Amino acid sequence: MAILVNEKTKVLIQGITGKEGSKVALQMQNYQTKVLAGVTPGKGGQEVHGIPIYNTVSEALENHPGINTSFVAVPNFAAYEAIKEAVEVRIPLINILTEHIPIQDSAKAITLAREAGVRIVGPSSIGIISPGIGKVGSIGGDDPRGVFRKGNVGVISKSGGMASEVSWILTKNGIGQSTVVGIGGDVLVGSSFADLMEDFEKDPQTEAVVLFGEIGGTYEEEAAELIKSGGFTKKAVAFVSGLFAETLPSGTKLGHAGAIVYGEKGSYKSKVNALESAGIKIAKTPDEIPEFLKNT
Amino acid sequence: MLLYEFEGKELFKKSGINIPESQLISGSGNQLISIKAPLILKAQVLSGKRADSGGIVKVTEIKDLRFKIKELFEKTVNGERVEKILIEEMVEVDKEYYLSFSYSTETRGPVMTFGEGGTGAEGKGAKTISVDPIKGFNGEGLPSELVEEGKKLWQLFIKYDCELAEINPLVIDKNGKIWALDSKIILDDDADFRREEKFPERNLFGRASTEREIEARKIDEGDHKGTAGSVYWDLGGDIAVIAAGGGGSIVNMDALIAYGGKPANYTEHSGNPPREKLKKLTKIVLSKPGLKGCWFVGGTANFTDIYETLMGFVEGLREISPKPTYPIVIRRGGPNDKKAFGELKVIGKKEGFDFHIYGRETPMTSTAKIMVDLAYGKQLSS
Repeated sequence: MAILVNEKTKVLIQGITGKEGSKVALQMQNYQTKVLAGVTPGKGGQEVHGIPIYNTVSEALENHPGINTSFVAVPNFAAYEAIKEAVEVRIPLINILTEHIPIQDSAKAITLAREAGVRIVGPSSIGIISPGIGKVGSIGGDDPRGVFRKGNVGVISKSGGMASEVSWILTKNGIGQSTVVGIGGDVLVGSSFADLMEDFEKDPQTEAVVLFGEIGGTYEEEAAELIKSGGFTKKAVAFVSGLFAETLPSGTKLGHAGAIVYGEKGSYKSKVNALESAGIKIAKTPDEIPEFLKNT
Repeated sequence: MLLYEFEGKELFKKSGINIPESQLISGSGNQLISIKAPLILKAQVLSGKRADSGGIVKVTEIKDLRFKIKELFEKTVNGERVEKILIEEMVEVDKEYYLSFSYSTETRGPVMTFGEGGTGAEGKGAKTISVDPIKGFNGEGLPSELVEEGKKLWQLFIKYDCELAEINPLVIDKNGKIWALDSKIILDDDADFRREEKFPERNLFGRASTEREIEARKIDEGDHKGTAGSVYWDLGGDIAVIAAGGGGSIVNMDALIAYGGKPANYTEHSGNPPREKLKKLTKIVLSKPGLKGCWFVGGTANFTDIYETLMGFVEGLREISPKPTYPIVIRRGGPNDKKAFGELKVIGKKEGFDFHIYGRETPMTSTAKIMVDLAYGKQLSS
């Protein structure tokens, strides 16, 4: 079954004529994912890799009513309008690759999506892959087959690079993945750990979940709350990065916008304590994860 | 970007929020002071809790003014040198409040925080109310006399694309007049492209940026193909780090420190930057004297070309003088990694670099231990 991306996934690419958009279009096609249409204002009527381009999302949808997923790869200044367009026509899943979207725009986009019952994954998301079935976004690059393998473990990661690295560690140890999701490292994200854990809970293919967290924000704490309230009952293993960052002055920015700690809130300790009190094992290095999945 | 108090108050003023009469002085402090005593001298530093560190000085007698100004300019407040002082008229406080707008990961949107009691109130029983970012702030949660100030602060928060807009304390004086006595504003750097007001660069370390930090940040200017060096911090150690990925780089820094390594810097590159950017970054990172090792580390990349980035690294390495003799540990995976490693082995032998090359089969963080052992002279146990 997997979550979010399955055999029925039919993708629209917003920003298909851009560098990332066109590259990822080809990657998705090569991974047997159906890409029905693209949107770039002013370039309607053209094609990219044989995919028809439209000026607007609603035009694309009129011609391809089967579209159920939008992949957004437009520049940051145009992201809010692009997401709004996709939400207004109720495309059920929107995956946003775009990085550096102003937080105000993310907040507005997330609010619109919530009211419309639309699911956003991202911004700054590396993508979603259900190994052996399909992928949305740049996750796995040109050849996901070398890194990902179909199986029973769901992976949710703030870091795009680490989503692949963790999946590779699992694959290397004979553990396949149901779906791997990069939720992005921004302060505000459309889908949190807990949101996706609820999906994995319902997914019969998934037996366990790996959470790849990072200091900053409260999404790890929220995941712990979900488990404590009985909303997630499967096995879970977590890793939290960012101890080093806490040695730097409060408020210092590092890799991800969301990885910023003010005082106690969002600290490594707060996250590890919350997760451990919910019964989740914390791996000290990413390489301990397979062992914990097998033994707990 | 965190603003200084005086910069934040400029934005307050533009937004119609009432602030005390004030004057900003710098340098010798010999300027003509137009504010009448009693007044307050406020050191303009970025760290919080200035009052506890002697950064806020009350002057009741005008005869003490010059001396107190001089004294404050000679101070460091929480490690920061005092370069500017904001002189303000004194306000007779009747009631004190805390008021801010920020973003919450719990509601995934903007929130208003309001509390009675001023400084320190944000931690003590202040209440937080979710604000709809599309409809805007309607005054909910504020006493009626503060609703207008709340709306003005919300306008400021949105107009200037803030991550935080805080008035602490917000006070009402004996005549019922409302004043913002302090400001804390954090601007969203991702919205710089649409904000007209520009502010000079600053450094949260409480020191000016180092030459390397300035140079590293220039690498990405005008070229948005991938990033390299836009986040670079000089640290006190002796192992140079060139890490890949916003998330992976932090994982690796954690591991290096856990194994006893002392990083000379933090930096990362991601999003498939071209060769030239890696060359520039390498030259900056390895320009540091006294290095004991260099660690080029990253996970299994999704789309960063490993051959291109590693060749950029080698091109930079060749220009370092004197030629590095310390161990160079490389761990990377991703597109074109095998081609890159093959060529690196040849280059290492031919040009005499002490390369230790590991691919995706070696756990990323375990190469932290290899780096530490090699750099600090321990034998490899394998």
